[in-house]
Amino acid sequence: MFHIALRMLTYDKVRSLITLLGVIFAVTLIFSQIGIYLGLMQASSVLIDNTPGDIWVTSKNSRNFDFAHPIPEYMYYHALGTPGVEWAEKLIVAWNVIQLKDGSTEQIEVIGFNPDTGIGGPWRMKAGDPGAVKNGNFAIVDESAVRRLGKIDIGDYKDVNRKRIQIVGISEGVRSFTTAPLVFTSYNLAQRLGGYISPDSTVFIIVKKLPDYSVRDVVASLQQRLSGVDVFTKEDFSFRTRMYWTIETGVGFSFLLTIVISFLVGMLIVGQTIYNSTVEHLKEFGTMKALGAENRDIYQIIFAQAILNALFGYVASLVITLISVKLYDMTGMTMVVNWQVNLMTLVLTIIMCLLAAVISIRKIRRIDPAILFRG
Amino acid sequence: MEPAIVACGLTKIYKEGPVEVHAVGGVDITVNEGELIGLFGPSGSGKTTLLSMLGCILRPTGGSLEVFGNDVIAIPEDEMPWIRKRYISFIFQGFNLFPALTVFENVMLVLELRKAPPDDAVRRAEQLIAEVGLAERSSFLPRDLSGGQKQRTAIARALAADSPIIIADEPTGNLDHSNGVHIMQLLRSLASERRKSVIVATHDSRTQGMFDRILYMEDGEIFGQKEMVK
Repeated sequence: MFHIALRMLTYDKVRSLITLLGVIFAVTLIFSQIGIYLGLMQASSVLIDNTPGDIWVTSKNSRNFDFAHPIPEYMYYHALGTPGVEWAEKLIVAWNVIQLKDGSTEQIEVIGFNPDTGIGGPWRMKAGDPGAVKNGNFAIVDESAVRRLGKIDIGDYKDVNRKRIQIVGISEGVRSFTTAPLVFTSYNLAQRLGGYISPDSTVFIIVKKLPDYSVRDVVASLQQRLSGVDVFTKEDFSFRTRMYWTIETGVGFSFLLTIVISFLVGMLIVGQTIYNSTVEHLKEFGTMKALGAENRDIYQIIFAQAILNALFGYVASLVITLISVKLYDMTGMTMVVNWQVNLMTLVLTIIMCLLAAVISIRKIRRIDPAILFRG
Repeated sequence: MEPAIVACGLTKIYKEGPVEVHAVGGVDITVNEGELIGLFGPSGSGKTTLLSMLGCILRPTGGSLEVFGNDVIAIPEDEMPWIRKRYISFIFQGFNLFPALTVFENVMLVLELRKAPPDDAVRRAEQLIAEVGLAERSSFLPRDLSGGQKQRTAIARALAADSPIIIADEPTGNLDHSNGVHIMQLLRSLASERRKSVIVATHDSRTQGMFDRILYMEDGEIFGQKEMVK
């Protein structure tokens, strides 16, 4: 019955094209919304995900990576002395202000890491070396910051909180959810930049467990040993950060709403076209029934039309989306279109089109045989 | 020999709210193998309703109906397609061909529904299309055919089912005289040579001479019948 469905679609080219455009519109929207959402979520936890270590110690009730509060620095030593800990590292994440060439200012997120180990520092460099931030007022800026900070070259000087720092490296692919440029400095410089980070405090302690210990056991030991802080596995903290931005800011809801609306719009467009086509071919379908076809034979044709619409629409949308990914990348944002997104969107598209066909199925079930005999 | 169709007191009443419309009332009819029966009567006389019931696409309200010994009234709704597939084919005034399918594909559709082996189906479809004189038009879409050619396609489709009973509703209604005569000759030969039981509802009195038997219908009842002399 698949070939009949295909012939019916290709017979009425204009209508099929309009349906296809509707599907493409809806599916591209679904694709982009899922892709942009995942891109944002990836950005929100990009530093956690790309930093070695198994466990993150944060201030109490810290709900995400970007807005954690300082914790006493001595806890680092307590963590280091906890059974099952192979190593621990301090990391500062603090909001600061950078002065631009034209005199205006921009908010930046300063990441203060240990340049000797590189833990918490940039993981992909376009130019320079992460260790170069050591022993001085040096910083590494991500290339994506150009949009906000203007053109930056190695050797340039910038004022951060009225302290002159020199750019010694350019990193790649370090984009934050907040869109604020990420600037990497040494841990010591981040502490000295002032603001709300005092010289005896840190923001995170990253812990690596010993191979013979389970992560959960070390987390429990740290929770017992360190008071007034939270201890998360890396995965939990990453998820917690993503959920914060998803739920607390309404970002997740607005993306979900757009996906649902796109799904409904696509369903209506496909549903209306298949329904009209079914009504127009009611006599032929009725004739099939008269000739011994069972309802399920005709359902196959209608569902096949829906699936063909879904597949053609999906492929066209995928091509458009892949082009969009490149364009989106140029704006400094990330759209994630991996195989999971592809599969999810394909399933959504097929469900959308099959649901759209259900109305037509009802019509087939109730065909009045008298229509067959009307000339 | 077992009759193809035996109907006794066949009745159809449509209910629209409190109003009852007696479309067909107490029709008795027996259709024998190889018989070409004409059903004559004005519009609204109940011909179509009667054909729908004899063709097992409309449930009677009362009476009995047997198709080759199968009690149609007792058969559950979900088994009706099987009865139609096994015993009955249709030819309609409006042809009811799939506009998107070629002549060949329209005929093949019936064979596919019957799960015929693909090679056999192709051979049979080509043979039937040739028999109705459309071999040259096999790859044409219905929109590129004349009315007569469309009806011949519909006949080839009906023959593809190889059903012992063919029910035709005004098969010449949309055709000019010469095409109409040609179609009636085809139906005549189906009854005489292939031993099909053919029931034809028609207004066309010029075709009366081709039938074995003619039934006259009015107000949902058969008020007379005539055996035609061969």
